Amino acid sequence: MSRAFQTGRVNWTPVLLLLPAIGVMMFVVALPLVFSLYTSLTSYRLTRPETIWDFVWFRNYERLFGNRDFWVAFGRTILFLTIALNVQLILGLGIALLINKITWGQRTLRTIMMFPMMFSPILVGFQFKFIFNDNIGILNNALQSLGWTDRAIPWLVDGKLAMFSIIFAEVWMSTSVFAILLLAGLFAMPRDPLEAAKVDGCNAWQVFRHITLPFLMPFAFIAMTIRSLDIARAYDIVKVMTDGGPAGRTELLWTMIARTAYQDARMGQANAAAYLSTILSIAFTYYFYLKLVESRRYMGGVQ
Amino acid sequence: MQSVALWFATFLLMVIMSVPGLWVVLSAFRPNREILAKPPVWVPTELTLANFGKIFGFGSEQVGIPVTSYFMNSMIIALTSTVIALIIGMAGGYAFARYRFRFKGGIFLGLMLFRAVPGIALSLPIFMIWSRLGLIDAKMGLIIVYVSLNVPFTIWLIDGFFRQIPMSLSEAAQVDGCTRWQAFWKIEFPLARSGIAAAGVFAFLTSWNEFALASQLTRSTDSKTLPVGLMDFTAQFTIDWAGMCAMAVIIIIPALIMTFLVQKHLIAGLTFGGVKG
Amino acid sequence: MTRTTKKLTLGVALAALTAGGAVAQDWGDFSGYTLRVKLIGGAQYEPLYATISEWEAATGATVDILSRKNHFELDREIKQDIAAGTLNWCVGSNHTSFAPQYGNIYADLNDLIAPEVLAEFTPLLLEHSTVDGRLVQLPRHSDVSNLFYQKSLFEDADNQAAFLAEYGYELAPPETWAQVFDQAMFFADPPNFFGTQFVGKDEAVTGRFYEMLVANGGAMFDDDWNPTFNSEAGVEALEFFVGLYNAGAVPAGVPNYLWDDTGLGFASGTVALNLDWGGWSAFFNDADNSAVAGNVGVIRAPMGSAGLRTGWSGSHSFSITEGCDNKEAAASFITFLTDHDRQMIEARMGILPTRTAVWDDALAEFADAGNDFMVEVFSTFRTSMAEDAFTPPLIPEWIEVSNVLWPQLQAAMVGDATPQAALDRAARDAAEIMEDAGYN
Repeated sequence: MSRAFQTGRVNWTPVLLLLPAIGVMMFVVALPLVFSLYTSLTSYRLTRPETIWDFVWFRNYERLFGNRDFWVAFGRTILFLTIALNVQLILGLGIALLINKITWGQRTLRTIMMFPMMFSPILVGFQFKFIFNDNIGILNNALQSLGWTDRAIPWLVDGKLAMFSIIFAEVWMSTSVFAILLLAGLFAMPRDPLEAAKVDGCNAWQVFRHITLPFLMPFAFIAMTIRSLDIARAYDIVKVMTDGGPAGRTELLWTMIARTAYQDARMGQANAAAYLSTILSIAFTYYFYLKLVESRRYMGGVQ
Repeated sequence: MQSVALWFATFLLMVIMSVPGLWVVLSAFRPNREILAKPPVWVPTELTLANFGKIFGFGSEQVGIPVTSYFMNSMIIALTSTVIALIIGMAGGYAFARYRFRFKGGIFLGLMLFRAVPGIALSLPIFMIWSRLGLIDAKMGLIIVYVSLNVPFTIWLIDGFFRQIPMSLSEAAQVDGCTRWQAFWKIEFPLARSGIAAAGVFAFLTSWNEFALASQLTRSTDSKTLPVGLMDFTAQFTIDWAGMCAMAVIIIIPALIMTFLVQKHLIAGLTFGGVKG
Repeated sequence: MTRTTKKLTLGVALAALTAGGAVAQDWGDFSGYTLRVKLIGGAQYEPLYATISEWEAATGATVDILSRKNHFELDREIKQDIAAGTLNWCVGSNHTSFAPQYGNIYADLNDLIAPEVLAEFTPLLLEHSTVDGRLVQLPRHSDVSNLFYQKSLFEDADNQAAFLAEYGYELAPPETWAQVFDQAMFFADPPNFFGTQFVGKDEAVTGRFYEMLVANGGAMFDDDWNPTFNSEAGVEALEFFVGLYNAGAVPAGVPNYLWDDTGLGFASGTVALNLDWGGWSAFFNDADNSAVAGNVGVIRAPMGSAGLRTGWSGSHSFSITEGCDNKEAAASFITFLTDHDRQMIEARMGILPTRTAVWDDALAEFADAGNDFMVEVFSTFRTSMAEDAFTPPLIPEWIEVSNVLWPQLQAAMVGDATPQAALDRAARDAAEIMEDAGYN
């Protein structure tokens, strides 16, 4: 590697350089997590500050483990994460491949592609709440005007459609991020192997399958990792569109936690659920990170 | 011929993808009566700036929405937190790229995983701690939180970027009499500019659009940001959709400008960063 | 000036105003003081706030509006303030259904506002505003729902004949909820036209279910605070909503509807009958906003199977924090916002006043202006407020119980559970909440 690395004694430079980063993460994330770990072991109610001293050990967790609704929401959150991330990846890949083919006016197309990234999640929620409204929403109005249906389709109410609608909103908002990261990957791609493959008589699909795709995989996992970091932002969307309803059909861990915490004011209980959801999020990110490291290792020869 | 068709198809796809967003923009210039009409009015018969006027409180009995304060707050908070996150991120990224130290991989992964904690899980404990420190309803309180949201990704991008720049460049400069600090500013920083710009755009957009934490930590015009201000259009009984759309346009425009300005660097920035282990 | 003398002057000043009318108001002198307040925001609440500058001019004080949010957001913010000990403001908007949750953060207004002033408010409303014997809020305006309908539908001869043939009785504005059910079925023509509609989520649907439960002779809890809403009366109440939903007599999206959806829905002219709040009446009859303007009738809310009328009611109010550093200024401010002239501003929009005199004066004003519709609205709502109105149980656990109940109401509507099973489940969860809270 490099001579700059000093051996034998501790080099304080990297420690100093990293200190602000570690410090801010400790202060904003670790410290609150310690505090909420403690409250998850109490019967803390928001409106009765003195209950923060009422230590109940694992009662909140025991209740959660025995609560069917919690596990359904837990499972649904995993489903939501999995479907949303995969659909975003596939659509993002398609868009990136298309735009990469285009030489003239690409900058314009890239700007249009990034348009949804400008939208705040809370705005996306309101926007799709109105689009999917069964009575006056533009989607049903369009379908009815085109004569494709004469029913008012209850997008936000039907068991399957409601889940579809919130995933659709999340996908709309975040596909651009995938597209732009994958486009960056395509730009970085060396031309030689592609040319060589064409000379060897590979067809377009074979080139894509055996050369482009493996090269893009690390980018795909980078995108997955990055998106998994803040997919919980989808809370804003779901909160506005359905708030977990109807009858809990779109209840995700995040909406459940927020309701328990603020409306019911049962902070202890909510923090216990929040802890389990934190573990879930970390597991997702960790999984994609491992995949990333793995695919880089696989890529080792190419770069 | 084929490429024109491809271009056109892609363009169409992009437009369709933007339709939900464009609809919001269009609605900002239409009266509520027409947006919510049934049967629908597809071709606008009336375009108006009244929704924007209403926000600023012109000629209506409704108290205007303090959108200027929200805008300034959003700007100050988003820009400051982006700049701080970039500085911290550069320092951290440089450390990861150029030094070897114990637990390097673990610290890197740890920073990422800390970022993965959902905002909703953090919102109350942060609120409790911030209130003890007097950071509620203060711009500083939100800036600190946004810095932490952006530092991990910034480090990641910038680390990848510095790695691309051969050590020999800065070493050569040092041989020529530069200090390491000078070598960094003169040689490595300019080369890493695209990566920094890309990280900056992402950080800015995250801070500019964040709602969940801002809605907890802000209270008044001292610190309320634009996305939180959107909720001013909802009440128990009514949602002023046209007004909200007008506000949405006010939120989107600076983000668009910002993205457009650094667009050149964006793809390049993402290309070099990240992928190299 | 001591607190008692201040109270006295205020009281005298107010008495003078209501008696003579022409005497200039004395709201006290609070020059240089900044009053920090948190108010409910939203279109129909804002016109009142436009008059705050008058109070500022009269007293020399400045009002700093820290928050203007809808009630659910405000509720969360206040709970956070309690948790973090940041109750560093003086006046907050409140609501009779929310007030019991907040413990004793709010001051007893009996100590701050003169009895003569309080005597001008409707006594029942002050009773509803009292928690544990303390008057924690001053009612700003009340709410109760009555039935709005499209008059032309009922006057149409073909409709009358067809209805009589199908149901065996005359088509007329309904007296009972059973008739509403028949008529809603009769008028419904989904997806273009609906018989009626209802809100379908959050505390909104809990309230609708609750009033129907009461009208059917049921109760939320027994005397020992055991949940009893899964009784026969409860199942009957829920079956009303489920039946309408399954038959398509209401829009398919109602489980996701809140007040804005029902109000705008009726105004769009696509709904025959609509139980809704008084605050909507002016909107419904305004040709700029509503397709049914000029065609709106209003009657008292119909009766349930027990012969009682529905009348879920609550009041928006103002409270003063216990930690307020200038309670006199705060008391002057909330008295100002709820005084006769201020209530008239809201009453003109159809919002229901809390002062007895304002009912008379508003009615007289509508009559003078020849506004028959608003006269009809105000007479109907006045009767309804006086005879039918009741609040939900005023306990801190109300919202929490509501949160276990409404998802089950929805489950029955969308067919995930039978009404009995859904209510049984909610009752079990509610019992646990009550037990945790130490009721039994």
